[in-house]
Amino acid sequence: MANTLKGKVAIVTGSSQSVGRAVAIALAAEGAKVVTNSRKAGGTKFLNISEAEYNSWPKERQAEYDALLKQIGGDAEDTAQYIRDHGGEAVACFGDISQWEVGEKLAKCAVDNFGTVDILVNVAGGFGGGGVEDVTEEQFDMNNDIKPKGYFNVIRAVVPIMKEKKWGRIVNCTSKAWQGDVVKFTQYVVCNAGVVGLTRGLALDLAKYGITVNAFSPHSKNRGGYEGVFKAGEAAPRVGIPGKPAFPTFDTHPEPEANAPFICWLCTERGGKVSGSVFSFHNNEISLHQEPTALAIINKPVEYGVWTQPELLDECKRRLFLNYKSICEPDTPIG
Amino acid sequence: MGDMLKGRVALVTGSGHGIGRAIAIALAAEGAKVVTNNRKPGGKIDAIISKDQYDALDEASKKKLNEEYENYSGDAEKTAARIKAAGGEATPCYADISNFADAKRLVETTVSTYGKIDIVVNVAGILARGSVDEITEEEWDVCLDTKPKGHFNVIHFAAPYMIKQGYGRIVNTSSGAFMGNLFYDAPHYCASNAGVVGLTRAVAGELFSQGITCNAFCPHAQTRPRMDDIAPKQDDGRPVFPAAPDPMNMTPFIVFLCSELSAHVSGTVFFLNDNLIARHKEPIAVRTMIKPMEKGFWTVEEIDKAVDAQLLNGYHSIVGKVK
Repeated sequence: MANTLKGKVAIVTGSSQSVGRAVAIALAAEGAKVVTNSRKAGGTKFLNISEAEYNSWPKERQAEYDALLKQIGGDAEDTAQYIRDHGGEAVACFGDISQWEVGEKLAKCAVDNFGTVDILVNVAGGFGGGGVEDVTEEQFDMNNDIKPKGYFNVIRAVVPIMKEKKWGRIVNCTSKAWQGDVVKFTQYVVCNAGVVGLTRGLALDLAKYGITVNAFSPHSKNRGGYEGVFKAGEAAPRVGIPGKPAFPTFDTHPEPEANAPFICWLCTERGGKVSGSVFSFHNNEISLHQEPTALAIINKPVEYGVWTQPELLDECKRRLFLNYKSICEPDTPIG
Repeated sequence: MGDMLKGRVALVTGSGHGIGRAIAIALAAEGAKVVTNNRKPGGKIDAIISKDQYDALDEASKKKLNEEYENYSGDAEKTAARIKAAGGEATPCYADISNFADAKRLVETTVSTYGKIDIVVNVAGILARGSVDEITEEEWDVCLDTKPKGHFNVIHFAAPYMIKQGYGRIVNTSSGAFMGNLFYDAPHYCASNAGVVGLTRAVAGELFSQGITCNAFCPHAQTRPRMDDIAPKQDDGRPVFPAAPDPMNMTPFIVFLCSELSAHVSGTVFFLNDNLIARHKEPIAVRTMIKPMEKGFWTVEEIDKAVDAQLLNGYHSIVGKVK
């Protein structure tokens, strides 16, 4: 046990398994009192697939999926128990953060049990693949209702408490998919990009209250990425563009504990100078992403009239697209 | 009239007025057949001001408001009529793109009217404002249902036609808010526009090999919600939205993105303000700190010692200094 977060109270959404679980345990090990969260007791089955999809599978595939969940699944209570068994303080609070009222429920649980909220780490999320022409409305909503909407639900419930004490740390989980470098996971890219926008907007709004807001892209074994889920979803097209991977394989990913220390650091006093930023993990590499500010600019004084097409094409070639290479070109890595 | 888009069929969502209208007119002027769109006939003044707010205005303000409103409001039919009056081809279609079935009908109308769909410009969107602890679920949903979901809906239904013909141009409207750039609180609007950027990159990556490009732009132009006298005032009485450029001025670059000349441009975000065109950076990783895996994972203490010299060397938060 270290004590960089001694006396702090943290909520970690989606902390029954994997990254969320590792973060909850790490925060507790640093001295924080933690509210763990997952949708319901006993683990959840229909996170990355719909119930209808599951029901359409043959019995063997359902059994395979069930066995996998049993192996890697857990719930918020399991994580809280683990923390208590290791000398920490934790309570579980079940609830689906995509439901508007669950944000309040989580904040209330923290206040009732530990008196306040200092830290919120949003990790809950869904996973889904499909080309833009294949994704159903249901699939799109399922992802986007959790991220960014569910994250917002919880944030809005804890912000009044943090504002009052003029201190707060909010950390949101996004994905490297946010940059669009996974192909045929449309709704997953959209929802994770939304998380980044939410993070930046809130960082600017809340800086004057001493509240920081950052985002991270994890890299670890997790339920959503487990091969079983891919097996389950292998019908989804994963044809990439030439030279680009479809989706990374997960067998080489580290244990989720790899992601937790830096998230703990962001929640410390010293982490207070960092806000509105996006970090990503790859094994023991921690990276900071640049802001997507303007890179190349062309202009023409409006008193000379608007661009004619020949003028515009010329300036595009000479300046706007100087050294330009689309992220879609096979050999442009953007991750 | 030019012919850069001769023979092309374009759908411009949210083209009843403002930026969408300007783009619809510009695409038609280059020879495209255009389906114009907004939610319903005849924009109403209560789209920007409540009846109570309107009633509270003095007569002079009401008169000015009504005049301005005429300038900046309209609907899909009025835009189509303007295009036709200028010798172009256009058909209006009322549909709310945040509704999945409406989006389908909109794309199908385009195809049944003009035989195909080559270009989609998504402009439909709403402006939102509010602090994190004040935003209601309804406000969140209205904002995010239009963007990115509405933009997704339209692309979802248009993509199969474009894939089949091996050609397409998709342009989505985002906002500088995707980077958090606002002078007031609106985290839902930031999330919504960042979602559009994500959608743009995702679609670009998926469809590039099939001759389809997808880009996004962040406009700065005078539009209906920006109207000075109507938009909510800031605390010091300054209008939230000062006068902005005529949206027609930014259309040459949109025409370029919708033309065959931009085949190599995809997944990119632009900022447009009058004649100023800026291309945004990709948010790639720029600084990394590493610990060899065989030495175990980082500890918080190790990170604390290393972070200033390594990961955060030269770091500057977008918020400036956190209090």
